Amino acid sequence: MRLLIREDPEAASRYIADYIIDRIKVFDPTPEKPFVLGLPTGSSPEIIYMILVQRYKDGDISFRNVVTFNMDEYVGIPREHPESYHSFMYKHFFSHVDVDPGNIHILNGNAPDLEAECIAYEEKIKQAGGIELFLGGIGPDGHIAFNEPGSSMKSRTRVKTLAYDTIIANSRFFGNDLTKVPKMALTVGVQTVLDAREIVIIITGAHKALALQKCIEEGVNHMWTLSSLQLHPHPMIVVDEDATLELRVKTVKYFKSIENVASQLGFEQILPSEARTGAKRNAIIEQLQSPKDKKPNGFYVLAPKPPQLAISTAVTPELVPDSMSSRISPEDSTPLDNPVHDEVSFKAMSQRITPLGA
Amino acid sequence: MPSAIPKSSPQTGITKFTNCLLVKGDRLVKDDLWISSVTGKILQSQEVFYEHQATADRILDLGGRILAPGFIDVQLNGWCGFDFSVVPNEPSAYPKGIRQVNKKLIETGVTSYLPTIPSQKKELYTKALPHLGPSGKNRDPADGAESLGAHVEGPFISPTKNGIHTLGVLQTPTSGFSSLEDCYGSAHLSPDSATQIKKITIAPELPGALSCIPQLTARNIIVSIGHSEATFETATSAISAGATMITHLFNAMRPLHHRNPGIFGILGTSASPRSSRSTSPTSTSPSTPTFLSTSLSPHPKPFFGIIADGIHLHPTSITIAYASHPTGFILVTDAMALAGLPDGTYPWTNGELITKRGAQLTLNDSETIAGTSITLIQCVENFVNWCGIGVAEGVRAVTETPAKMLGLRGTKGGLEPGCDADLVVLGEAVSEDGWKELRVEQVWKFGECVHGETE
Repeated sequence: MRLLIREDPEAASRYIADYIIDRIKVFDPTPEKPFVLGLPTGSSPEIIYMILVQRYKDGDISFRNVVTFNMDEYVGIPREHPESYHSFMYKHFFSHVDVDPGNIHILNGNAPDLEAECIAYEEKIKQAGGIELFLGGIGPDGHIAFNEPGSSMKSRTRVKTLAYDTIIANSRFFGNDLTKVPKMALTVGVQTVLDAREIVIIITGAHKALALQKCIEEGVNHMWTLSSLQLHPHPMIVVDEDATLELRVKTVKYFKSIENVASQLGFEQILPSEARTGAKRNAIIEQLQSPKDKKPNGFYVLAPKPPQLAISTAVTPELVPDSMSSRISPEDSTPLDNPVHDEVSFKAMSQRITPLGA
Repeated sequence: MPSAIPKSSPQTGITKFTNCLLVKGDRLVKDDLWISSVTGKILQSQEVFYEHQATADRILDLGGRILAPGFIDVQLNGWCGFDFSVVPNEPSAYPKGIRQVNKKLIETGVTSYLPTIPSQKKELYTKALPHLGPSGKNRDPADGAESLGAHVEGPFISPTKNGIHTLGVLQTPTSGFSSLEDCYGSAHLSPDSATQIKKITIAPELPGALSCIPQLTARNIIVSIGHSEATFETATSAISAGATMITHLFNAMRPLHHRNPGIFGILGTSASPRSSRSTSPTSTSPSTPTFLSTSLSPHPKPFFGIIADGIHLHPTSITIAYASHPTGFILVTDAMALAGLPDGTYPWTNGELITKRGAQLTLNDSETIAGTSITLIQCVENFVNWCGIGVAEGVRAVTETPAKMLGLRGTKGGLEPGCDADLVVLGEAVSEDGWKELRVEQVWKFGECVHGETE
């Protein structure tokens, strides 16, 4: 579990926005290999979207090869209804960036067969290669997506009846008329979120302090569905100071000290995700399986050898702010003298042509 | 990867305006606007995005400028030397002249208008009206400004409020509707006709005039009260009969009098029921004047035209009119044929000369005012500065309000999805003395830029 505490919602949001941008850049997505991003709606992520849009407009990041999956959508309100999650995403994010509409996935709350819609959604996530990073927020009762208290921790995308207090809370968006608030929603399941290779959660405000406390200081409990994050290999929660009000001083100090130590050692609190360690693991497995006389070559030219740190985490490539050339010392340049290169002919073009008169 | 679609998306014909302020009602709203050059309409962008998975071919950053609906002028007599009331002997010259007017007029931001003919003889209507019907059927941006149908201002008007209308041609509709048919030609009053008149200015106090009003409105012709001696009571009867507009309020009508507020008084009525005691005294004595209790009208207040050129009306009168009925306020130019030409002296009828200095026209270089040649954007600028209102409110008086008056809301005068993509990009600057200047920087018609630089 990574818990990062920032001064205010703005700073917490900025941290996440920067993090997502870094992750996409390092991933270097292409049309064949898009970055698959899970996205939430709600007031907490709004600032994150604002920053992402600004960074896009500044030319820092492109979402052209990003495939998105949204968490949830109401059942039975028109797609163009101002309170639909389609409208939210369009208004706050999609209409301002270069994301391809063909790459966007949001559950259709007006599908003729809702169950089929949910099954298809899970399949689409699988076809896209699984979700690389799932961004989320939580409700004051610790729910993630519309997985209300009591939801199965193994749940998948499905139709969900909203809790009464969620309906009351949402009525402010529907003219305070309870009868107009949708009673059902389609939502990804807890397990759908846990399947993502990385989960990043934003929690801000004193009203969510209890939920944060339940989710990280107590056990896994279906009444606080976010607590399922404890079972994920790479979760990250970014909170503001207000959200820590219910935490023990010891907990806050612990997570703050992790971050301090890490930054003193020259790296941020960014742990490699499965995707990044996966590449390294494959190389290591290959090394272990290969005959002993074969030296690993070329690998360290692409990724510099991590410095020997006390903590067993790798420094990510993008955090070495030097030029490529400076990483290669004359001794390390031996791979260039590899016999492979001898096969390449560097003769002048003219030399390869037989003179016409000959 | 199945979920990633190919990079080369097909051309969609969609233009997206971004970083701009949209005129929505009386406010400026920071939002994007999507239009289609294929349909020539404003798009429901979210639906296009999700349903058709289409994005814009072209994104135009307006740098914070104002994006307004195209302007509508419901009273325009001519442009750039062409007069809608003068039909040359050469038969092709008249329609050709109109086509040139359309191309030039659009540069001022006026994307649709009512070609207006002041009182004329029957023969002139017969010749001119066949060419003045709605001209936007082809939806071709290259055609320029679009006629929405003719406005006939007279000849059924009061001889004592004729203004510059020739007295000799004025008529009285003594035979009711058949008088109108006889004058304009029944084909131009028929709802099935492609050259149907859009709007008629009439003086309701003339014998037979009131009875014509329901017949006109039944044919979807808008009836406007103007050039009239009507009292408050007569004007109220005209509104009850179906008139929905007042032609150039204050001009060519009785002034507001506190005992009889005249035509202007209708703007003081209230359509909503309210607790009002009758203004009639319970016991009447011969010496006490009695007033009809007509301040409560079952009909909505009419729309009204205002010429904000600084010549026809005092700025304060404009402020009063606006305050009395903001959503009925329509700016019109009532511009003459010399409008759109450079300043100078031009030949006029009967060997007279007209001198144009800015918006002002004078006869034979004297002080006699011979009409105005103001542009609609100048009217908006004056209105905004004189009344101390926002640009959105000023723009509303030449877009949304005239569109409502014409029954064209949903097609013209708005930025809602489904409206025609007739647009004006406005530049704004404040001079040293605090005067807010407005400039028409780009004009779009049916989804294409027809004037100004887009880069």
